[in-house]
Amino acid sequence: MLKGFTRRFKALEVVTEEELDAIHRGALDVLETTGVRVEHDRALKLFAKNDCQVDFEEKRVRIPPWLVEDCLRKCPSSYLAKARDPKYDLRIGGNTFYFLQGMGMRYVDLDTWETRPATIKEHREAMIVADALENMHFAGAYEFYMDRAGIPSCMVMLENLASGLRYSGKAEHMGYSLDCEKFAIKMAKELGINLQGELGMATPLTFYKEVVDATFSFAEAGFPLSPATVFTLGAEGPATLAAATVLADAGMMAHIVMGQLIKPGIGISIQHGIKPMDMKRGTPRYGAVSKGLTTVMVNQLLRRYAIPSFSTAGFTSNSKKIDFQCGFEKATGTLVSALSGGNMHVFHGGSAVELFYSPILSILDDDIAGWIGHFLEGVVVNDERLAINLINEVGPIPGHYLNREHTRKWWKEEQFIPKATDREVYPVWIKTGKKDAIDHAKEMMEEILATHKPKPLTSGEEQIIEDVLKEAREYYRKKGLITDEEWAVYMKTLESN
Amino acid sequence: METEILENLKKAVVAYDCEGAASWARKAVEEKVDPVKALGALTEAIRQVGDGYEKGELWLPDLVGAAESMQSATPILNEAIKRAGGEKQSLGTVVAGAVFGDIHSIGITMVSTLLTAAGFEVHLLGVNISAEQFTEAIREYEADILAMSALLTMTAPEQKRVIDFLKKEGIRDKVKIMVGGGSINAEFAKAIGADGYDPTAPGAVSLARKLTGKGG
Repeated sequence: MLKGFTRRFKALEVVTEEELDAIHRGALDVLETTGVRVEHDRALKLFAKNDCQVDFEEKRVRIPPWLVEDCLRKCPSSYLAKARDPKYDLRIGGNTFYFLQGMGMRYVDLDTWETRPATIKEHREAMIVADALENMHFAGAYEFYMDRAGIPSCMVMLENLASGLRYSGKAEHMGYSLDCEKFAIKMAKELGINLQGELGMATPLTFYKEVVDATFSFAEAGFPLSPATVFTLGAEGPATLAAATVLADAGMMAHIVMGQLIKPGIGISIQHGIKPMDMKRGTPRYGAVSKGLTTVMVNQLLRRYAIPSFSTAGFTSNSKKIDFQCGFEKATGTLVSALSGGNMHVFHGGSAVELFYSPILSILDDDIAGWIGHFLEGVVVNDERLAINLINEVGPIPGHYLNREHTRKWWKEEQFIPKATDREVYPVWIKTGKKDAIDHAKEMMEEILATHKPKPLTSGEEQIIEDVLKEAREYYRKKGLITDEEWAVYMKTLESN
Repeated sequence: METEILENLKKAVVAYDCEGAASWARKAVEEKVDPVKALGALTEAIRQVGDGYEKGELWLPDLVGAAESMQSATPILNEAIKRAGGEKQSLGTVVAGAVFGDIHSIGITMVSTLLTAAGFEVHLLGVNISAEQFTEAIREYEADILAMSALLTMTAPEQKRVIDFLKKEGIRDKVKIMVGGGSINAEFAKAIGADGYDPTAPGAVSLARKLTGKGG
């Protein structure tokens, strides 16, 4: 079991208990009065059977407050993410905090900052780096480098997941598209692991067929669910933060009811990200202060419900480079998320909204993650650490602490030392080529690739992965989702790696 | 009377007043004001809002509000033009939607609203639209432009699938294709064979004008 970080102090709050009550009541009212649109006959029948008011014509489900609150109580306060290597298993919930691998569609060239599709080798190397990083606890192989050279789009998520399982022992999660989740679930079950299902409802208040299908698939497999309520203020959601939080609460509670009706007691975490829209460009603004505030409000709600939180404030930046803005936007949002009681945070490696992923950035982000994690662990106050006798003994100058046993014993535990940041003194920095944090991270990546060995797959495990991939490839070929031309390129790409 | 009606049509658009715009459009028809002239007043008002946006005095919610109030009046005036035996005024026909697997509607809705206000005839198919559905709509509406969006990294490659499908169906060259979405860029658009990409909704309008040869 990977410990992650433990928050040892009261979580940050931005609204009072009474204000939180008003948000919760408002969301219950929305679910009872307006309800949600659910484009899925099986789910509509399930809601109807459980005392919801269902209009089958309009595909509208109105959910009574008692059922919502009953389903909130059915959610366990924590659940297990089962990794390929058991030392990386995660217990998600309570006051633990885990960092996840981030996302980004393409590979980025760090000299030109231009992007392109990623190769098999680049995905593999990014996963080896992910496996090596101390503060990245949860891998997310499926969702970075979605634009893969030579791989048909219907196979990308599965090939990415397979690459993750081959080159990292860490826990994995999984999205859904064109039935790929069904193959992923099969693969995971045969490997004896689980995959947290990432499920995106459409805001406002709409569940399309695909997400409901995936909810059934993951829940019936007994895999934890992670419904997402992700939208922009003043566009898909209302402009005020309070109203947006009501809408987010209504959406997530509707998905919780659905999950608990399908499989009572199933583990659920809520993924949330409410951000403002750039009212000039119509694009989401990451790193905005209102995203931080809504993150805290949703975390407050989730702590009240005792349901794990998967937050995304600071998961990416609007910056197209690894630069000041990138670090600033990612670090501030993530810090707020951690301080307010989040349990998981998608973070390492992504920037330019979701355009690129960089293993170099993941190494740099690992320093931010370490800093935040160390902060969460807080301060231990006991006799030995208070060291009153020592302070009296050393007294005023010329007394000092460098020569003390107490210093030798405690300084490393009490300090966090980032690995990639530049801490060199100026003359040495000049002499050694003026290296910055990115230069250090590049060197670290070379070192990791030369020395780090993820836990290898057994031949049986490799066979399971390959068999499921083969089955999926045939399925998509039969469905016509891989053309002959794509197939030829695909096979050549696989052979050349 | 005509001057009063035309002025009030303009006022309704700049005040984001959908009901007012529709009501003054009906009044224009009743009073036999030339519907082409009435449409011209609406266009002038929307241009005024567009100028405010360009200067940084107005914002997207203002642009969308004005566009929607214009949209509530234009069908009434177009109907009058048709009754009088005239041709519906349009810069071109657009089929729009978010690709299969993508359920994010706000971007493509915004683009569609602004394209309509600019004078395009837009058929917004919605979200989660398959290559087959896009193809069918392009044929049915004889579209000049296909506008596709994909917000997510996992759905962006679906845009390529649609373009490949159009090639297979032999209609790729009959339509200009513009793509958009949070996770893509111009290189990606070029690589998948699209004709154009713009990262913003107002930019998409200029792009559509350019692609149809109606000015940038």
